[in-house]
Amino acid sequence: MRKALAVGRKEFHQIVRDRRTLSILLLAPVMFLLLYGYALNFDIRHVTFAVEDRDRTVESRALIAAFVNSGYFDLVASVHDGQAIDRLMDRNEIRAALVIPERTGRAINTGQAAAVQVLINGDNANTAAAVMGYALNIVRGASSSLLVERGLRPRGARLAPPVSAEPRIWYNPELKSTLFLVPGLIAFIGMITGAVSTALSIVREKERGTWEQVRMAPLGTTPYIVGKTLPYLVISIASAMAIMLAAMALFDLPMRGSWLDLLLAVSLFLAGALGTGMFISTVSDSQLVAFQIVLIVAFLPTFILSGFIFPIGSMPVPIQMVTLVVPARYFLVALRSIVLKGISAAAMWQELMALVLYATAVLALASIRLARERG
Amino acid sequence: MDPIIVRDLTRRFGQFVAVDRVSFDVREGEILGFLGSNGAGKSTTIRMLCGLLRPTAGSAVVGGIDVSRDPEGVKRRIGYMSQKFSLYEQLTVGQNIRFYAGLYGLSSGRYAERRRFVLEMAGLEGRENMLARDLPGGWRQRLALGCAILHEPPILFLDEPTGGVDPLSRRHFWRLINRLSESGVTILVTTHYLDEAEYCHRLALIHAGRLAALGTTTALKEIFAGRPIVEVQAPDAVAAMRALDAMPEVEKTSLFGTAVHAVLRAAAVPPAAVGDRLRAQGFAVRGVAAVPPSLEDVFLDVVEKAGRS
Amino acid sequence: MRRTFFMVWKELLELRQDPKLLRMLLVAPILQLGVLGYAATTDVKNVPVVVADGDRTPASHDLIERFDASPYFSIVDIVNSVDGIDVYLERGRAWMALSIPRGYGQAIGSRTPATVQVVADGSDANSTTVALGYATNLVATYAQSLVAVPTMPTPVGQGFSAVGADAAPTPVGQDFSAVGASTAPTAVGQDFSPARHLGTFDPQVRVWFNPQLESRDFMIPGVLALLLLVMTAVLGSMGIVREKELGTLEQLNVTPLGRWQLIVGKLLPYGLIGAIDVFLVVAVAVFWFQIPLRGSFLLLFAVSLVYLLGTLGLGLFVSTISNTQQQAMMTAAFFVVVPMIYLSGFVFPIENMPAVIQPLTYLIPLRYYLVIVRGIFLKGVGLETFWKEALELLVFGVAILSLAAARASKRAA
Repeated sequence: MRKALAVGRKEFHQIVRDRRTLSILLLAPVMFLLLYGYALNFDIRHVTFAVEDRDRTVESRALIAAFVNSGYFDLVASVHDGQAIDRLMDRNEIRAALVIPERTGRAINTGQAAAVQVLINGDNANTAAAVMGYALNIVRGASSSLLVERGLRPRGARLAPPVSAEPRIWYNPELKSTLFLVPGLIAFIGMITGAVSTALSIVREKERGTWEQVRMAPLGTTPYIVGKTLPYLVISIASAMAIMLAAMALFDLPMRGSWLDLLLAVSLFLAGALGTGMFISTVSDSQLVAFQIVLIVAFLPTFILSGFIFPIGSMPVPIQMVTLVVPARYFLVALRSIVLKGISAAAMWQELMALVLYATAVLALASIRLARERG
Repeated sequence: MDPIIVRDLTRRFGQFVAVDRVSFDVREGEILGFLGSNGAGKSTTIRMLCGLLRPTAGSAVVGGIDVSRDPEGVKRRIGYMSQKFSLYEQLTVGQNIRFYAGLYGLSSGRYAERRRFVLEMAGLEGRENMLARDLPGGWRQRLALGCAILHEPPILFLDEPTGGVDPLSRRHFWRLINRLSESGVTILVTTHYLDEAEYCHRLALIHAGRLAALGTTTALKEIFAGRPIVEVQAPDAVAAMRALDAMPEVEKTSLFGTAVHAVLRAAAVPPAAVGDRLRAQGFAVRGVAAVPPSLEDVFLDVVEKAGRS
Repeated sequence: MRRTFFMVWKELLELRQDPKLLRMLLVAPILQLGVLGYAATTDVKNVPVVVADGDRTPASHDLIERFDASPYFSIVDIVNSVDGIDVYLERGRAWMALSIPRGYGQAIGSRTPATVQVVADGSDANSTTVALGYATNLVATYAQSLVAVPTMPTPVGQGFSAVGADAAPTPVGQDFSAVGASTAPTAVGQDFSPARHLGTFDPQVRVWFNPQLESRDFMIPGVLALLLLVMTAVLGSMGIVREKELGTLEQLNVTPLGRWQLIVGKLLPYGLIGAIDVFLVVAVAVFWFQIPLRGSFLLLFAVSLVYLLGTLGLGLFVSTISNTQQQAMMTAAFFVVVPMIYLSGFVFPIENMPAVIQPLTYLIPLRYYLVIVRGIFLKGVGLETFWKEALELLVFGVAILSLAAARASKRAA
């Protein structure tokens, strides 16, 4: 144990001396948190749209007003020919367009349905569906408002459908996407800093030639691994806690669970991340190769395959199988439960077990390879 | 005009003065050795002369070109080799030569000729396809030197070129340097191996950024004129040293291996007397003899005086 | 110029000597595109739902059947009372719960309006919104089918409107049919009094460029851009720093090799690899994923090269401000690649970002490249449409390379 501490202390000194890397490890999480908190979300706002009003009656203007006043749409152009809309769509300057044909007002006043065109720019599929929903909602709302204004009833008196659904939202009633992004952020940062730091630290010794000294040292493989990863574990945990605290202070992230449980989950996840880094260092000869492998094996899966941004259920089954070995997947579920729902770590034992399995597997593999390399 | 003219060259890093008003000239075909401990300012000086580092003050004219004003112009006329050997490990011997020849713009005729020369000089004929990383230390050193002189520069800067190389290879290397110097190449070498200093025409002793002494080895050893050095062999060297220090005739002492060197204040005292005095104090003195000053003695003396001033 | 040639020659030789690296640089993008192409979808499917059936009548079973049959939902369990759903939602075993109260079947039978509760786990706000929309829509369609009035399917899409305090959940259909209909939005039953009535606006929706709202067609060109960025930025970041670490940079600085010759000498070989990567990933996108490439491939290739100028340039710039390879790679990854991913509009819309940040996004080459790449794939547009973006890519590339060259000074100040 003492030897492990000695290795750890040396590693720690090296980390501290490398100011740039240290500041990256500490600043990056802060920067991401600010990004997430203030800049990144999926809400629908400021949707740019154009209008081609060939009717120009009170009714058509009422419809346009409904869009403008909704707070979601920004009218950027009022055009007079069809080509203009084409151009604007092609250049992505508008995400929606409203085309109101002649005689719309007349149709409304004579009790007919007046067709208006709602064009959606399908370029950004993420938001097109939502934009479409909003637009349709507004159009219908405009119809109802007109009726209410003029004190009339719509055709058909029975308004209540036989069955309707009452929606309820738990844990995050305001649907603040920040709350769901922050746990993902912790996972992301933890995996990256953990895996990258450890992967590079061993490969660097190989490249610089100090590896020989390591092989010669009367040090068991396990104490060596422990010593190497300990400083990074400490730094990553500190980082994760800092993110939590900052999110709580700046973005009202609620902490409904126990801090101890959180610590446990974070430590287990980080152990896996560090183990991943260790293992990668045993299969690389140069820092560049190690880094590329970390990108493929840790960075991208954590970003794409963990359910962080893209839901796992929507992926094709073979890919879903692959996500089974992505530790971030389990970590996110556990983290959200503990932080946002106040669940105990014991209740999340299945996820935590998965993390333990992953960490053990990856550390064992790394150990075996290291022992072999040290001869 | 001398190939290298340096006047009050200075380099500061913040408050730290790495090179402090150094001035010297190097004549054509001369080998000037820069001697000094690590951190004394040798590498910094060389890097300024090569146009790799901008001087804070002072001037240096290398090959007729002002280093501060036209660093790129200097680089065409010099060759440089550093302790890192700067070869591309993953390239072969031949490829390394080709690469550097290309950087210096050698025409194909000249290239063929120089390639042959370098291979022969380094003893690498027949080994053109060996990877640089597979070469043992001495060969790599000679190859690095060869790559540095492909373009036949009249001035050569060598920064600790013999680091980590076996003594035999080091001797071979110095023979090459001498050959170059005889053909008219001006060479400035830094080293901290005192024995290599003997190969140089003149030596510059650098200490704490200052030029503490400059001259041929003979001239440098003159500082001990009138101060003979006595070497005393005694079993308890440390105690003997202290005893000698106490004697009024002795200026200073230092340990040299298992023996003690005592610098006497004047030539009047015969060495034998010193030995007797020690024996009188109970030391089993095995031998006492006057020895000619070595460069190490010179170096220690210079450093000590520089430290005092 | 000849010196640049020798630099390029040396780099290629070194690359050839490192087969692991070479393999990685050529195979990795394909692998990543393969996995990411399938994974990167924002569609919401197979949402795990737990049902609390307090009624247990044929009517409630019928409704549950509907949910089960839908591709959007996947019933994980059916419990008897509302209390039972807590556990599932808390532990993330289900994202949604459908709660059917006792008396539901009776109400349906006696033609009184019945309500069911749909509970969603708000901790994944994005998917929640969409899933909730699908659920309320499914219920609404089901409701319509109960009342056997022939109404035309409302022409709408798959989206869902905001769950604001005032907005009633709007039924949206699952099929997209651009058919006009003359039904009033909320009327679902027989119509009665021929009183004086007013017509209504009748929205006909058309989705341009991506009628199926197939997110993969949209995502994959984005993933392509992303992969190129990651690979080349990291590669570039090693370029100069590796020589610094090994000591050969000092030797290069002492030769007549100019700064631009050094930069270009690194740029060309890495650019070659980047170009091969472009070719490979576009091939995978078109032939494996069947993404329609409606525009010109040559144009795509040419623009990609300009894009690479910027990404490699960024990498090289990072290389000139770092002292060790580790610093370079971490700087490239954390301060270049990841912020670019987030701020480029790849996943998160730029319109949502605060006004202070939006101007910053103009500095991100990925942003312009995404527009161009998606344009060429999905819309088949040409240079005349996005010449501005292409120009911006070029300007960025030249600017960043100049910065790198300026920093790669041969003489330390």
